[in-house]
Amino acid sequence: MTSSVHSVGLRTGSVVALLLLWWIAAKLMHDPDVLPSPAAIAVTIAQDFVDPGPTGHSATFHVALTLARIFAAFAASMLAGIAIGLAMGRNRVVEGALLAVIPLMLTMPTILMVFLAVMWFGFSEAGGLIAVMAVVTPYVAVNIFEGAKAMDKSLIDMGVAFKAQHSLLIRKVYLPQLMPYIFSAFRYAFGMTWKIVALAETFGLKFGIGYMFFFWFEQFNMVQVLAWIVMFVVLMLVLEHGLFARLESRAFAWRGAIAH
Amino acid sequence: METAHVGSQPTVGPGPVLSSAVTVRNLSKGFSKPGTDTHFTVLDDISLSVEEGKFVSIVGPSGCGKSTLLNIIAGIEPYDGGSVEVSPRRGTPTHEPRIGYVFQSPRLLNWLTVAGNIEFALEAQNVPRPQWRERITRQLAMVGLGGQERNYPLKLSGGMQQRVAIARALAIEPDILLMDEPFSHLDAITARKMRFDLMDILAKAKPTILFVTHDLAEAVFLSDRIYMMKINPARIFREVAIDCPRPRKPEDPGLLDLEKDLVREFFGVLEGTRR
Repeated sequence: MTSSVHSVGLRTGSVVALLLLWWIAAKLMHDPDVLPSPAAIAVTIAQDFVDPGPTGHSATFHVALTLARIFAAFAASMLAGIAIGLAMGRNRVVEGALLAVIPLMLTMPTILMVFLAVMWFGFSEAGGLIAVMAVVTPYVAVNIFEGAKAMDKSLIDMGVAFKAQHSLLIRKVYLPQLMPYIFSAFRYAFGMTWKIVALAETFGLKFGIGYMFFFWFEQFNMVQVLAWIVMFVVLMLVLEHGLFARLESRAFAWRGAIAH
Repeated sequence: METAHVGSQPTVGPGPVLSSAVTVRNLSKGFSKPGTDTHFTVLDDISLSVEEGKFVSIVGPSGCGKSTLLNIIAGIEPYDGGSVEVSPRRGTPTHEPRIGYVFQSPRLLNWLTVAGNIEFALEAQNVPRPQWRERITRQLAMVGLGGQERNYPLKLSGGMQQRVAIARALAIEPDILLMDEPFSHLDAITARKMRFDLMDILAKAKPTILFVTHDLAEAVFLSDRIYMMKINPARIFREVAIDCPRPRKPEDPGLLDLEKDLVREFFGVLEGTRR
């Protein structure tokens, strides 16, 4: 308990220190067109949420749209990756075939994937979705495959000896053993997804946080550019540390049992 | 259900003909290495029976196929010839025979609580949900873990984890309880304590047990009857009844003498077959 309070304090402290440094730098530079102060950014963000702005939509709309894109692409690539990983674990032919292809996919630089997807599918929602899936799905599949291989056979035998039905085995024996692999894939997948979605929005998707960022970039409006970046970063931090970390610590509560 | 169990228990000593919980006749199992002519005999013409309410042990060296035999009786491994029959207890409503299994290692699901682990077995055996709570409480008390329902296995010592595994197997009220060297992974002191406690459980719950071990002293102390197995080929070569009344003491001179004789005979046969 005390250690978690301690680490929260440390983290808050370092964020405050960063803001303070920024504020001092802005003061010294004295040119709000190059480095606006944190306070100016905060005001701009608040305004963006109230005013419709140049697109006719407030920040709420753009944030919601970006989130929807992230979650759709994330869910699709996780599900596809889990399905493929399990298929590899169950079937030798699938395993052999995909183990040859997946390293190719994984070595391909992300930005090239995005360009390829855009060239094939245009600046459409499908293009963004496919770019994310092309990058993230192979990684998830490899992780889940590792998990399927590492499954403890003696526990499965135990379940079979007690005549556990298939659904019970999946729920209580297979899935919990896959959980660590699912979660590690989960984190990476989420991080990759939001980066690619931001990239796709910047380069061509209509609306969304990345779109607004690029819009203001072309106007050379530093205050707005920074405002949209801050919005994006804060949003992703809250999701990663607030939501996923909490889900993870709940899923693995049984492990904490060792420490006590 | 409880009364039915007690009512159908035969009394110790000469009594009515006992009905058999497990009957194995001329069982054989082998396997060939793929692509070669080598054929291994894992089990050769094994016949044995376990009567209701009795504690029967199979003693043999490691690698003699004892675990394979238990797995075949549990229905999780195939066999080549002979027959295996597991019958439900007399006096209980007809049902598929229920088989409890305690393995060498506890094989608990570490992500479930102690109660959750027992629920797993109850759900697997389609025990009606309203009975779960009572059965879990009763069996945990039986193995000396009352009040540990909500604890996680990793918080328990190895001996306590094995107790949970025993409670899990007892909770389904098995027609036969298979135990595969359940104390071999524990330190000597814990193992000794567990044997005494298993004796108490026998007296209270009166399960039918088929117990596998390589430890003759353990088998002599616990069993009503012992089958001794040898290797190459894997066969039962001797059946010994142990009539010493219960409760027993491991230092009982009668038991110690019997153990000494059996050890001599056992190693005579084992070393004879090796040469």
